[in-house]
Amino acid sequence: MATPAALPPLPFNPARVRSYILRLPLFTRLVLLAIVVFWLLELQTVWAVIEWGALTPDEIGIQSMHRLNTYPFIHVGFFHALLNTVALVPLLERFEAEHGTLTSVALFMGPLSTLPGGLYLLVEKLILHRNTSVVGASVWVFLLLGSEAIRTYKSHPSFSLGTLKIPTWTSPLFACVIVWILVPNTSFLGHLCAILVGYLLGLGYLKFFNPPEKVLRWVEGKLNLLGRLPHYVSVDQKTYGRYGVLPSANNATGERGSPMSYLGSTQRLATLRNLRNNPQFLFIRLPYLLSLLCIVVGVVWLLLLPLDEYSRQTYISENALLPGQVHTYFAGSEQNVFRGYKKELEGLLPEGEARNQADLSPVISEKIQSALRAAGLKVATQNYEYTSAGITHQGQNVYAIVQAPRGDATEAIVLVATWKTVEEELNLNGVSLALTLARYFKRWSLWSKDIIFLITPDSKSGTQAWIDAYHDMHSPSVQSLPLKSGALQGGIVFEYAFDHRFETLHIIYDGVNGQLPNLDLFNTAVAIAGGQMGIGANMQEMWNHDDSYEMRLQTILRGMLKQGFGSASGAHSSFMPYHIDAITLQAKGDGWQDEMALGRTVESLCRSLNNLLEHLHQSFFFYLLMQANRFVSIGTYLPSAMLIAANFTIMAIALWLRTGYDMESSAAAAAVKLEDNKKDEATPKDKPDDAANNKAVVERQLALPLTLVVGFNLLGLAPLYLFNNLHHGHFTIAASFIALVDAVLPLSVAALLARGSAHPPIRQQYLLIKSFSLLLLGLALSALATLNFSLSFMVGLLCVPLTFVDRISCSKAPVRIAATLSGLLVLNALSPPAVLVAGCHYAGVSVESVLTHAAFGWDVWGSWTPVVVWCVWWPAWLVGCVLLGVSLF
Amino acid sequence: MPVDRRKTAVFSAAVLLRLLLFFVFPSLPDLLTGRVEVSTPVNSFKRLQEGLFLYTRNVSPYDGGVFHQAPLLLPLYALLPSVRDYRLPQIVFYALIDILNADALITIADSGQSVVGRLHSTSRKNIRWDGVAIAAWYLFNPFTIATCLGRPTSVLTSSAILYAVSNAVSGNSVNAMLALGLASYLSLYPALLFLPLVLLCYDRHATGSKVAPSTALFGLQNFGVFLASVAGLLAISYLIIGDFWEFVSATYGFQLLVPDLTPNIGLWWYFFIEIFDSFREFFLGVFWLHLAGYVGGLTVRLRRQPLFVLTSLLGIFAIFKPYPSISDISLYFALLPLYRHLVPLMRYTFFAVSALLYATVLGPVFHHLWIYAGSGNANFFYAITLVWSLGLSILVADSMFAALRDEWEEENPDMRGKDVRQI
Repeated sequence: MATPAALPPLPFNPARVRSYILRLPLFTRLVLLAIVVFWLLELQTVWAVIEWGALTPDEIGIQSMHRLNTYPFIHVGFFHALLNTVALVPLLERFEAEHGTLTSVALFMGPLSTLPGGLYLLVEKLILHRNTSVVGASVWVFLLLGSEAIRTYKSHPSFSLGTLKIPTWTSPLFACVIVWILVPNTSFLGHLCAILVGYLLGLGYLKFFNPPEKVLRWVEGKLNLLGRLPHYVSVDQKTYGRYGVLPSANNATGERGSPMSYLGSTQRLATLRNLRNNPQFLFIRLPYLLSLLCIVVGVVWLLLLPLDEYSRQTYISENALLPGQVHTYFAGSEQNVFRGYKKELEGLLPEGEARNQADLSPVISEKIQSALRAAGLKVATQNYEYTSAGITHQGQNVYAIVQAPRGDATEAIVLVATWKTVEEELNLNGVSLALTLARYFKRWSLWSKDIIFLITPDSKSGTQAWIDAYHDMHSPSVQSLPLKSGALQGGIVFEYAFDHRFETLHIIYDGVNGQLPNLDLFNTAVAIAGGQMGIGANMQEMWNHDDSYEMRLQTILRGMLKQGFGSASGAHSSFMPYHIDAITLQAKGDGWQDEMALGRTVESLCRSLNNLLEHLHQSFFFYLLMQANRFVSIGTYLPSAMLIAANFTIMAIALWLRTGYDMESSAAAAAVKLEDNKKDEATPKDKPDDAANNKAVVERQLALPLTLVVGFNLLGLAPLYLFNNLHHGHFTIAASFIALVDAVLPLSVAALLARGSAHPPIRQQYLLIKSFSLLLLGLALSALATLNFSLSFMVGLLCVPLTFVDRISCSKAPVRIAATLSGLLVLNALSPPAVLVAGCHYAGVSVESVLTHAAFGWDVWGSWTPVVVWCVWWPAWLVGCVLLGVSLF
Repeated sequence: MPVDRRKTAVFSAAVLLRLLLFFVFPSLPDLLTGRVEVSTPVNSFKRLQEGLFLYTRNVSPYDGGVFHQAPLLLPLYALLPSVRDYRLPQIVFYALIDILNADALITIADSGQSVVGRLHSTSRKNIRWDGVAIAAWYLFNPFTIATCLGRPTSVLTSSAILYAVSNAVSGNSVNAMLALGLASYLSLYPALLFLPLVLLCYDRHATGSKVAPSTALFGLQNFGVFLASVAGLLAISYLIIGDFWEFVSATYGFQLLVPDLTPNIGLWWYFFIEIFDSFREFFLGVFWLHLAGYVGGLTVRLRRQPLFVLTSLLGIFAIFKPYPSISDISLYFALLPLYRHLVPLMRYTFFAVSALLYATVLGPVFHHLWIYAGSGNANFFYAITLVWSLGLSILVADSMFAALRDEWEEENPDMRGKDVRQI
């Protein structure tokens, strides 16, 4: 083509411009098209495009959200559109070429329009309280400029203007100011918002808006976008990275990565990847760390509970209870009746010291029956006899029923006065009070539930015999009940074991096996005693509770100890297994409250229970009390026991994984195989194949570990049987015998394992033994935590060393033997019999009495703490000792 | 006849263990009979006693809506001494059924169908247990022992299924179909096993004969036998009960429509308690379709291993049946050891077994908290049944993965033991 030479050459090459325009990628073209279409639409007068699509702060509502996306496409005139287009195209084209069409569509249709728009709206409307509409693609221009400026800043932090060094990231701000000054009607604020978002984009803070590359690839692949759409920039054609810098910036430093802030996560990932590739750390050290962490957090968690932040004030959940809302009338002449009954009973007691030791003799029983009968109640008796550990417990329960004037004998409340209190003192006042109350209650017409008065000879077995027979679950040595009432809704036991006036009420609430009464019952008792009667209420023998952290913690720990033992703490405990909520009220201290005050408290409690429309169910059944009016509920405290139990499970899982990949054990297995092959060279062909297999995955040899662990668990039945069927005189000897077994049995089993057979167990089998044992322990403890949190927690803590003991494989024999022996010593100090003896010594009671009590609990109350000790704790302990003992041989 | 010493030892030890448990813990059988994990409305021994009581007094056993089991059980159990007077014969009877089941298992195991079939033979033939070991796995499985002492009638269904399979693997397709007919008659759901079972029979048949018969014809013939056996059993039942529709609606209608929502270890009861009544029919359909849907898919995908399809289906039924109990689990766990060679390929055995162990321990604990202690609620127990089902699903899915991988390695022997990723 002949071009006249006279014409000056163009400042740019038109062919390049043409090819540049022809090469524009898809999304840029679409944006251009949209801008042109909207400009053309503005030419008609029917539909006000600008009013429809502009970003007007006051018009923005849920109906007009489209404005946030349409405003960049709309311009207020030809020149506006032209200028913006010219500025936008190179920037947008570059962006699209780098990131791909799909990403550009996703970003520009979404966050890159809405974010600056939203920011603008926020400032304009909420801070400046103005209403300026904005339109135009300049928002994208400044946004992309901002992002580019950050990128430049990364490679060239500043440019010099003479001596002045100006940071490059400020350049869009200058541009913005210049445009604001030179071009009329531009929104400085809008541009500023766009630059701000652009900075964020450049710094990589917005990259979470990016659609995941996998999804993009998938969409691309499924729709075959590359094949169908012209000028489409695929995900794979991207220049470099998603938000990476241009290659030119990198080449200078010669490394692929650039020192950009958001690459930090990659480095962290690399660290993690290194850890992943480090089996020594992952399988051997990490589980120990995790287990230790679980234990520490579990214990610290418990120690945090008394703080105000973790505990709560108690409250009455059941609205029907209305504690203390009624006036109590038990006073005045009733006191004379009380004195009369007391005098009559006292007359039947022996004089002097023997008075306080007197049992509930048949004569006294007759007297009680006649008094109840005279008050107009139906009276019945029940004989019972229990034999446990060679001791016979027998007695006669007397009970009487006040039939509800307003009820149909389908529900009942039990009031219990035991002849002997929990501390084996004479409860003369309590029994007299029961008789007085029976006479008094009989005259009231407002009872809607039957009230049963039960006088038992002692606090241990009497109520158990009665409640068993009430539900026809009694053993043959216990008589059936001739007289019954409806479903029991609640039980109150009261004790007043001295003749002077009392100061406070001590409330006992623990049941058998750690079961607790509904917290509402306890709260009602506290509310009535404290609020209505003005008597203080104590619990867990904390007489001087000053609400300090130490006192709260001490109360919790005492409660946990009692709960953990799982034995009955009073006459009320026997009710709990039948889902009857019951508490014991003990009059304690020397003050100015008389028996009438106790009577009024019981009366008010009965009135509250009488209101109940359904069984107590609203409030908590699992709680730890730290003060009469503060508690923590199960959701808050359970994690601590669960964490302790989890530490065993974590270790078990880790050991299992380790046996599958353990290099050492596979080497040992290979060695065993080699030895085998040396002995009989029958299968030389298998050798290389086996060796190849051993490197990858090791077949686990389960038979021996399973047998050993299951065997030890079954062995636990032996001491369980022993301690529940021996005569109590032999308990001390039996305990010493078990301690001896503890010392000898693990070592002999270890010797048998290590030396007994031609093929001693390989390391993998030892690991499996530990894994199975800990798995069972963790399983049992986590199940137990839901039933008896405290027992699970205590056993878990005592078993903690078992996570960490292992066969010591040190090449130096003296060191190994010394370490093993000291380890065995520590373990033996934490064995069940050792803990028992130490506990007895600390509490100042004899081992025999504790074991007799435990046997009584097993036989009569159905407490299963012995099962936990002998079938959960002891087997796991034995396995730990065996593993440690093996290193001796 | 030579006596297999090991077999005798295992069998007698199993019977002795059961008798020992019965004599040492006399209250154990009744305790287990009352457990929801053992007894469901369709297999409960207690409900059977009620039906038996009515039956022996010439009252329709389905009066009162307590008894929902097949009528033929009544004359069978009427032959045994009454459980109120003698409990030992019942235990002995159930122990004998266990022994019979174990015997069938030995037949299945010794046939080697699990390792080498007509269309598939695994590359890990040497990793397997023999029949007696598998029988021991079955007989000393705690679930089997608990089932034996809990005396649910579903063990008879298990027995019929095992005999159907054992006849199928020994090439006796008519007997297999008769046994499957009995199983379907007793519990309805085994009818879903027809397809894989007939394929198993066909494979066995085709291996024996030189000219493979037409699949469709073979299937139709066997379907005829199956239908005939069910029809025959129903006819006998009609003779016993008299009112055909009464017993059909009380047994099969009950199993299909799931009106009794007593808690069990399955997933249906909670869902149908929670759901609004207007959606009940729809979801009944959905649940049953879901259960039946596995049959076609598995049969087609694992066409080469019909015995494995049977095993997996039994596992799936044990999870998704309306009234599952641990007897269904013990049946699945009876057949699973046949696939010892798949264990090296399984990935989540430890996790699945741990989940099952946890659920086994926590299930009764949470049931106790809910029903007896009153300190928990239904969600406690339901959550554990979810864990239980999850553990079982993982086991079933993992074994299927292993079976597929095994098939694939047979096709690509060079890829054995290598990491593979789906592309």
